[in-house]
Amino acid sequence: MHKYDIIIIGSGPGGYVAALRAAKEGKKTAVVEDRGIGGTCLHRGCIPSKTMLQHAEVLHQVEQSAAWGIETGNVSFSYPSMLKQKETVVSQLEAGITALMKKGKIDVIHGFGTVNDNKEVTVEQKDENVTLHAPAVIAAAGTSPFVPPVKGLRETAHVTSDTIFEKTELPSSLLIVGGGVVGVEYACLFAGLHVDVTIVEMQQDILAGEDKDAAALLRNSLEKQGVTVETNAVLDDVDTGTENAVTARYTDKNGITKTEEVNDVLVTAGRRPNNSLLEETSVQYNDGFIQVNENMETRVPGLYVIGDLADGGWKLAHAASAEGISAVEHACGLQPSIHTSLIPRCIYTFPEIASVGMTEEEARKTGYDVKTEVIPMQGNGKAMAMGAKEGFTKIIADKKHGEILGAVLAGPHVTEMIGEAAAYIHLEGTIEELASMVHPHPTLLENLFEAAHSWLGREIHH
Amino acid sequence: MAKEIFMPKLSSTMESGTILQWIKNEGDPVDMGEPVFEVMSDKINIEVEAYEEGFLLKKYYNVDDVVPVNTVVGYIGEKDEEVPDTPPGNTENSESKAEPEPDQNETVADDSSSSVTQIEQGQIRATPAARRVAKEEGADLSDMTGSGPKQRIQQQDVHEFVQNAQKTPKATPLARKWAEEQNADLNTVEGSGPGGKIYTKDLSAAQNDTVSAEPDRIPVKGIRKVVADRMTESAAAVPHVTLYSDVDMTELVRMRSRLQDKIIEQTGAKLSYTEIMMKAAASALERHPYINASLSPDQQEILLHRDVNLGLAVATEQGLVVPVLHHAQHKGLVELVKESKQLAADARNQQLKPQQMQGGTFTISNLGMYAVDGFTPIINQPEAAILGVGQMKETPVGENGSVVLRPMTTFSLSFDHRVVDGAPAAAFLTELKQLLEDPYELLM
Repeated sequence: MHKYDIIIIGSGPGGYVAALRAAKEGKKTAVVEDRGIGGTCLHRGCIPSKTMLQHAEVLHQVEQSAAWGIETGNVSFSYPSMLKQKETVVSQLEAGITALMKKGKIDVIHGFGTVNDNKEVTVEQKDENVTLHAPAVIAAAGTSPFVPPVKGLRETAHVTSDTIFEKTELPSSLLIVGGGVVGVEYACLFAGLHVDVTIVEMQQDILAGEDKDAAALLRNSLEKQGVTVETNAVLDDVDTGTENAVTARYTDKNGITKTEEVNDVLVTAGRRPNNSLLEETSVQYNDGFIQVNENMETRVPGLYVIGDLADGGWKLAHAASAEGISAVEHACGLQPSIHTSLIPRCIYTFPEIASVGMTEEEARKTGYDVKTEVIPMQGNGKAMAMGAKEGFTKIIADKKHGEILGAVLAGPHVTEMIGEAAAYIHLEGTIEELASMVHPHPTLLENLFEAAHSWLGREIHH
Repeated sequence: MAKEIFMPKLSSTMESGTILQWIKNEGDPVDMGEPVFEVMSDKINIEVEAYEEGFLLKKYYNVDDVVPVNTVVGYIGEKDEEVPDTPPGNTENSESKAEPEPDQNETVADDSSSSVTQIEQGQIRATPAARRVAKEEGADLSDMTGSGPKQRIQQQDVHEFVQNAQKTPKATPLARKWAEEQNADLNTVEGSGPGGKIYTKDLSAAQNDTVSAEPDRIPVKGIRKVVADRMTESAAAVPHVTLYSDVDMTELVRMRSRLQDKIIEQTGAKLSYTEIMMKAAASALERHPYINASLSPDQQEILLHRDVNLGLAVATEQGLVVPVLHHAQHKGLVELVKESKQLAADARNQQLKPQQMQGGTFTISNLGMYAVDGFTPIINQPEAAILGVGQMKETPVGENGSVVLRPMTTFSLSFDHRVVDGAPAAAFLTELKQLLEDPYELLM
């Protein structure tokens, strides 16, 4: 049996960051991974989709730039080359993480790992199983795409975020099942590459749980991009149609059954926890996710679960990293140095949507005396110059102290900008401080400043 | 009139400075605040600024010259103004003796309209003393506002800054607003942020820990004030001794129940134990006059009172009052019942007349209705003693070689040892005990 101080199962942004943190504390650390180092985020999630979204955005800008006097002649693109470029980015990052592991003297053990209550980790390998032991084991096995039990769907050729980029041929039409964050990002990506996209969403609106104004703005924008958005709609059945096509039937919000023949069906209907590695433990489950305390520790002392697999919290890469750091610090007997409660949320659509803190609804429910200010992007000089005027800046603050409770940004580059609002909330700056801080001009962020002034009833431009 | 430029004293140990360079030449116009020359002490290099506007009229020393502090190194004045050809006498001795501290030197330099101030590489204007103190205190000059000329930071500014920094700990803006609203002192809160910065969660934690709800406030006045003053005075001035005695109440209980109907018939009120105790105390006091006594106000005489005027401690909503039942030694149980019931009622209704509260010679305080076994009463001055009565409860006592249960009550007698000694006080308490245990004598 191989002895370690800390063993981490899963090398996604939760697991590998936890491993690096543990190594920094001088702990003998092992990471168990049965697929590529970097996990879903690097291989099947954030990074591939963001790289491809970048390609779609540039293509869109080039096409748009004709109106600005940029003459390119016929614009065309190669989908296989784009995929290749995406692969280059992924392998560069993977090499980077591998190098960091090496530098931290972290053992990377390939194979499917399971754990028991004694914190013995068994790794299935080709010839024989390897057993490891550590006083602290962190399970960071993440989640997998969920394919709902729609008639014919599981049997019919369909893709998920795991497999979408395996095909080197760009579909000409795509039905996306589920209009959550993942679904709308892929919708923007493929619409940007001129694919005929339809979203079928069961809920009343896309982006359930997110800011309603942002969801409405995005829906409008998706439709302008040529995406058909069917909400309150139920996918009835899926059938293999003619060659290289799938026939999907769904009932729309008016109860009318529609039939659509598409090249591909992309299922983005949520994700299920990869919890089989914990079968031999006595951890507690909530709908398949593992219950943990504020230090990410399960009811089994020394056994931690972080990231998507843990019950509660945001299922986001950076949330997993933060939780990984907290778990390692707790396992090392340190005071957790990271606040896992404030997690910014980014949606990489066209336009982007980013938010942090509470939504207006949550803030009211919590009992705050809420005042919300919304500044549209239209009047912003930088946005005009960029030709990207879609969007708004929303600031949610408590009337009593001007405490900033939440912010929602929609528009270009807002995923980069949400950090300012997050910093204000994290450092407990109030609306007065935000209004008193000079913002550079011309920038998109000026709208945050403007919103603060507006909130205080002393608008400058509005 | 031309003003001198002095070699500044940049530290308490600096005796001389080396001129590194003249930034202005003779005849150059000089603006206020412009550096004139650069000087090196044993510790720092500093550019010495003009404190006057005009022209540099004279340079008395060359580069690399070592010049004692407070020596005139040049003049600034009107163009072509006359100045001495040689430097005037060294002022170092007189000034440094009078003002040994560097910051005071600064002040003196200012007063004498010397045209120096310093500016270091960092471009923050600060006196050398201010720099020294800032370094000692680990304070950042760039955080401070100077009160000196041209916002130059003086030593005093640093002291104030450090004091204020101690007064106002690091806290987030939101935490400050919370603290202000809740009147919380941030100094008492331990911050969990970097460098002890206080976040709102620290404030709520501190409140849960230490802050309790605001108490109700009742002014100490009226009866409360009287009780407070008199008890303090008595406890402080009177050497108290307390004696305890357990009294078997069997006969007293029996007698009371026998008399009860008659008393109710005659008075309409019930005979309480207190009234029987009063009767017993009055009898015992008659026989032990040194207990029914007080010390004269000048403390020169002991007054043995001929009348037994019994004070009765009564709890009212407003506090403790002690109405007095006069001439108790002449009164039978019927009168005692009538009078003491009336007094108690008047006391509770706040209807006592002044004369009903005066002239007491002995006080009885009965807490027997509570779960109190015994207590140490404080003497109601100027009386010589006070009787405390605890609850009556069935207690095993030894009797003729066996243990029997008896209704027992603890009586405590606090007496003023200035007036009476232990043995006579004990004799009184013993007499009282006998009267209570065999109360029929009281009826005689």
